[in-house]
Amino acid sequence: MTSVNETNANLQMREIFGLTLAELGAAHEDILVLDADLHTSTRITYFKDRFPNRFIQAGIAEQNLFGLAAGMALAGFTPFPCTFASFVARKSIDQFALSICFPALNVKVPGSYVGVPTSKAGASHNSFEDIAFMRTIPNLKVADPGDAADMRAVMKTAYETPGPVYFRVVRYALPDMFGDDHTFEWGKGRLIRKGTDVTLFGTGMMTDRCIKAAVLLEKEGISAEVIHLASIKPIDSEMIVESVSKTGCAVTAENASIIAGFGAAVAEVLVENFPVPLKRIGVRDQWIDSGEIEELFAFYKMQPEDIAAAAVQSIRMKEGRSK
Amino acid sequence: MNVPNEKIAQLEDFAYQIRRLSLEMITCGHWGHPGGSLSLAEILAVLYFHVLRVDPQNPAWEERDRLILSKAHSSPALYASLALKGFFPIEDLYRYCQIGGIEGHTDMRRTRGIESSGGSLGMGLSIAVGLAWGLRKKEYTKTRVYCIVGDGESTSGNIWEAAMSASHYHLDNLITIMDYNKVMAKGFVWDEMAIEPVRLKWEAFGWDVIEIDGHDIQEINAAFYKARWVMPRGKPILIIAHTVKGRGIEETEFNYKWHTQHPTPEEADQMLRELSARYGKPIEGYSRLHK
Repeated sequence: MTSVNETNANLQMREIFGLTLAELGAAHEDILVLDADLHTSTRITYFKDRFPNRFIQAGIAEQNLFGLAAGMALAGFTPFPCTFASFVARKSIDQFALSICFPALNVKVPGSYVGVPTSKAGASHNSFEDIAFMRTIPNLKVADPGDAADMRAVMKTAYETPGPVYFRVVRYALPDMFGDDHTFEWGKGRLIRKGTDVTLFGTGMMTDRCIKAAVLLEKEGISAEVIHLASIKPIDSEMIVESVSKTGCAVTAENASIIAGFGAAVAEVLVENFPVPLKRIGVRDQWIDSGEIEELFAFYKMQPEDIAAAAVQSIRMKEGRSK
Repeated sequence: MNVPNEKIAQLEDFAYQIRRLSLEMITCGHWGHPGGSLSLAEILAVLYFHVLRVDPQNPAWEERDRLILSKAHSSPALYASLALKGFFPIEDLYRYCQIGGIEGHTDMRRTRGIESSGGSLGMGLSIAVGLAWGLRKKEYTKTRVYCIVGDGESTSGNIWEAAMSASHYHLDNLITIMDYNKVMAKGFVWDEMAIEPVRLKWEAFGWDVIEIDGHDIQEINAAFYKARWVMPRGKPILIIAHTVKGRGIEETEFNYKWHTQHPTPEEADQMLRELSARYGKPIEGYSRLHK
């Protein structure tokens, strides 16, 4: 079996998630994992194989899945109901919001298969709205980790945080951004790269693309600051304002809809505290199509080149040269 | 197992008090669901004053029985039962639907003795199934989970997902009561959706079913006794309690207009006088008529 401690840039984040969940399960007997007939896809099979008595098959009944998790939390367990993010956000949001988040029950919800890279399943399975939905639910914390170490840290913190947590798990491999000593804290961003001309705010897998965009911009003589905000709610308002007060303009990048999502969360902080030009990268009021993953990223204009172009636009707006 | 006559009289009196207080708080709070509260009075009286292993002095006792009210709009009857049981002062009921007071539906973080938060119909049975699974896992063998569902909310798919899973997990520590009061928010159940044959449906989903008159204290008690001690193990149990929506006041009985409606203080006064006469109690109207 693959060890979670190895550095595996070729492992998809769902793999890191599945391995970490099994490790958490070994350390904490109160963890229960619930499945909706997707365990080999979500990679909770690792947990299932090691702890079959703490693995609950709920069938393709996601509304019940979240109700079951609520009840198990009431009995003193820490349940992880696991399914695709599109089913969390679209199929069972009432059960999640009312049965779990309203009474602030200790349930940890991974949203798997988020955003664009979801095999070729198409609109039904690609969740682009989950950040927007989750962000509005009181008592709920929301995170989108950016690499393997970040995933492990988010999951560890999620377990240690009382109350409901939603975190995103992408079906995509990401290069290492952080070392093994990396930690995650709610409401705290990470400065990845210093810059002076524009700030690139990334969350989840898109922070890596922001880093690549910063390299492209550097070749054009533009100094881009990159900040990773895995904690979407609460969000690090202080770091956001501090950075743009230096750079004067910004770009956000998320593997989700820009409507009411991560970019909107950053925009809210900016307009209320320190208004500066902002461009947002993400899915733009569209359903996500079936297709080759990298082609889809190009189609939805979510490549490093697109982030770099948005950064140039943002800088132009700052300089008053925008139409 | 029969209950002695004195106990029956005592439980009848609790049912009367639950009805009275439900109407009082709905009137005072200017909001609420009288119909579904009044149909539940005897069931809650038997549960809280004869069946449930709960301790108002120690509401977080881990091995206590749990009651999940899936049809959470009937919360006035539940709040009244909890107050009568001593979970909080009766006076608190008069802060129903006030900011910082008692939630219109149910908020477990706000009111002592409430075991789940709800209000969106069809969702409570899933919580009860998860709870029963969890408590069995903890080997609390004496603990039972009771869940009250409505006939109307049984038109929801979530109820059937939960029902299917309860029998799949062999949860014989789960006892569900259907308050089959025949009336939904906007009319008779059978006019709105074909839920019959109810018994056959639940049996087909793997449940043992008991069918009773939900206003007969003796029958209710016998059903809980049977569910707990007599029925074969390995299956969840449904008690179909045939009830009358709005039971106790002629105007509200089987009348969907009183599903969600609060009486004026004058109407409440009349209703409560009628109720006390019907129970052979001293005639008593609305306590806050002139306040």
